[in-house]
Amino acid sequence: MTALGQNLIDALALGSLYALIALGITLVYTVMGMMNFAHGEFIMLAAYALFVFADLPFGAAVGCALLAGIAIALLAERVAFRPVRNADLSAQLVTSLAVAAILQNVVTVAVDARAQSVETPAAISESTSIGAIMVPNLEFVTLGLTAIVLAGLGWLLYRTRTGLAMRAAAENFEMARLLGVRANRVIAIAFAISGALAAVVGVLIVLQSGQVSPTMGLTPVLVGFVAVVIGGFGRMFGAVIGGLLLGALSSLLGVYLPDGLAPFRDAIVFTFPVLILIFRPHGLLGGEIGRARV
Amino acid sequence: MSRVRFRTPQSAAASLLIPLLLITIAVLLGANGTPSFQDTVTTILCNLIVVIGLQVFVGNSGVYSFGQLGFATAGAYVAAFLTLPAAIALLQTPGLPHFIADAHLGALPSTLIAAAISGLLAIVIGLPLMRTSTLAIPISTFAFLIVIYNVVANWDRVTGGNSGLISIPATTGVESAGLWAGAAVVLALAYKWSASGYRLQATREDEVAARSIGIGVMRERLLAFGISGVLCGVGGALAVHQSGVLSPVTFYFGATVTTMTMLVVGGARSVFGAVIGALAIAAVNELLRGVENGASLFGAVSIGEAPGLAAIGLGLILLATMIAMPNGLSGGREAGELPWLQRLGLSAPAPPAAGAVAESRPVGERPTDGALRAEGISLAFAGLRVLKQVDLTLAPAEALGLIGPNGAGKTTLVNVLSGFQSPDSGTVSLDGVDVTGRSPNRLAHDGLGRTFQAALPFPDLSGLESVAVGAMGMGVSRRRAVAVAADVLGRLDLLEQATLPAGTLPPGRRRLLGIARALAIGPRYLLLDEPAAGLNEAECEELVAILRNVLSDFGCGILLIEHDMNIVMPLCSRVQVLDDGETIRIGTPQEVQADPAVVESYLGSSFLAAVDA
Repeated sequence: MTALGQNLIDALALGSLYALIALGITLVYTVMGMMNFAHGEFIMLAAYALFVFADLPFGAAVGCALLAGIAIALLAERVAFRPVRNADLSAQLVTSLAVAAILQNVVTVAVDARAQSVETPAAISESTSIGAIMVPNLEFVTLGLTAIVLAGLGWLLYRTRTGLAMRAAAENFEMARLLGVRANRVIAIAFAISGALAAVVGVLIVLQSGQVSPTMGLTPVLVGFVAVVIGGFGRMFGAVIGGLLLGALSSLLGVYLPDGLAPFRDAIVFTFPVLILIFRPHGLLGGEIGRARV
Repeated sequence: MSRVRFRTPQSAAASLLIPLLLITIAVLLGANGTPSFQDTVTTILCNLIVVIGLQVFVGNSGVYSFGQLGFATAGAYVAAFLTLPAAIALLQTPGLPHFIADAHLGALPSTLIAAAISGLLAIVIGLPLMRTSTLAIPISTFAFLIVIYNVVANWDRVTGGNSGLISIPATTGVESAGLWAGAAVVLALAYKWSASGYRLQATREDEVAARSIGIGVMRERLLAFGISGVLCGVGGALAVHQSGVLSPVTFYFGATVTTMTMLVVGGARSVFGAVIGALAIAAVNELLRGVENGASLFGAVSIGEAPGLAAIGLGLILLATMIAMPNGLSGGREAGELPWLQRLGLSAPAPPAAGAVAESRPVGERPTDGALRAEGISLAFAGLRVLKQVDLTLAPAEALGLIGPNGAGKTTLVNVLSGFQSPDSGTVSLDGVDVTGRSPNRLAHDGLGRTFQAALPFPDLSGLESVAVGAMGMGVSRRRAVAVAADVLGRLDLLEQATLPAGTLPPGRRRLLGIARALAIGPRYLLLDEPAAGLNEAECEELVAILRNVLSDFGCGILLIEHDMNIVMPLCSRVQVLDDGETIRIGTPQEVQADPAVVESYLGSSFLAAVDA
């Protein structure tokens, strides 16, 4: 019973992390229609800010990571994504792949291809006991941050003018523009928030693993993409559900897979969306992709 | 009388021979260079085969796959397993079944088996993945790449795990790589120019319109995915027999970005683009690598590996291409379609085929009796009732006008009839057979053609190709499809300019091409959604004359949605009026025009009152 409770909390924590990744990707997708492959590199660069500013107090370094995530997202939007805003989905995806490759290799050249270790506060790696269950403090942080981010996003989207503009743009971009929503501003804001979310994820990953590497964004972005596909494209709620499901599956497989199969956990986790897509080609919450016109 | 064709033999020959010539030059350069340069050229040719494999799927479908390198991985490991000497296999891959470990095949059989297994894997993987949407495919294929990587990296007893395999016999020479690359070009072009290749290109140009002419999107994508898997498997098998070593990262993310860059920079839509992209990027890659390593230009490299500066350079090139030149160096054209080549007179576009009306009749059989019948159709969107118990009957060889104000539900009704929308209740029957809920492509095969308000012919295909694809959607041979298209175009007086890209024609022509495309499936019933929208007066008159011919020549029933009564009047024997999702009147054009209720629905009651006063 205790073991089960423990595993469930682990699953929830990993699912929350995945949900944060999926949210960052979905946010950009809803306003711009682009699946941003470079989101993983936003995560990676924010994480490197912790490495570069390791001498600062940890809180200040986290602040730098947030700024780094937002800055790189805004820069990428302005330089690379704005020119292809009206290109088709595939072209945008390939463009973001190019941005990802560039950022990844810039860091490889500037720092090193190998992983670098990062000091993290000791308190994070300790655990707190709730009854018989020992919960790592990092999981509290993850769950707490996810709750704060979800509440903040909800407030922003549903209680502010900016949020209204973003929802309108997500619904019908051209119409929103005609009604006076400033496209550049809305998209830039979406990228800034997406970059901030990436930074939160980057910090959480570093807190967990204690290291950074140029390719550290690859798995998260794929996880995020798959979560978005599972949830149904362009739905915030779907992204959260998809992320939670995927994280829970990954976490529970890690515990319950027999030893022989344990190394193949990722393979099983990434096969799972395919199974979902067989039965629900448009994701669990069924997006409108592919049957937009007529 | 000259035969109508998509392209002249000269143009086709140029499209085939120029890429082969480039490959031959590469082989000759390599064969006469230093051993390390020879290795480099061989690697580039292996890369080229993978890029052509990528082109077959990505270029023709317009859908990106990030998983094709997974098939190269599969091909490479299979080829390695089959050729490792038994003693070495025992050390590196103790978990392999004996009959595979003991096999010590030559280069050709191992490559062929690797190709077959990669192709089979692509079909098995493609079966579920091709069902998903255009945007989900890139992501789920990428997930597949990760799955393959994860499996080969961790299945230590069979694949050697992360440390990979060594001492694989290095049998691929620059000549054999060149031969395979040439074969890949031939296969890719043969596929692109086959009926199936054209059907897939039609889905790339306009998925919805493609379904309306009977094309099964998933099926066509799956076939190309399989062929692509075969070619990628060949590339992987040859590459591993060139380098003699293999590890899980050989064909992973880096190689995916590199090959994708090659394809996009060259221009994904043409095989020629794949070839020049692969060669150009390889050259740039070598230069960048040379800069990075100081002097050692053209050192032996393994496929896809591009660390640091070279990779940044490639990324920048890819980014710049996407922003400034989305169609790539080739502009998406095959070599024989290049403008400068045509100016040289080496490959003129196919001659205008005026007067070359072919012997063949359109494919469908002429109706005898029966009708297209809708009964009690109701449909609501989010609570808004768009259609309320609508009945409609269209007899063969009859022209029925469907009119009504904007928002009356006309297009929705056509969508229901053609299978793009399922009704909440009610039935659609075709010559007595209940077809409610059948897919659009199935209905096209059943004899139902339609046009769209917005959809134009496939812009990147020529007019002739656009129309011929309609007949190909019915599964007829390419040759016969061309004859059908020429026949239809001849009857609609569209043969002139038929070999130009459809997207470059004036709007009136394009709209007629849309009708011709629907006619090419040989429909028994044809649904036309506002064919006159955006046409000028002269064009409208031409349209009426053409539709008259369609009625007499093709004998199909026509449902005509149209606002312009000048078009409805002379053509239609009956007119049905929809208003707010309900039929308010059916009668002759004269009766309908005289009906106050109809006039009111169009013009509003206040207008009537004003007229009366």
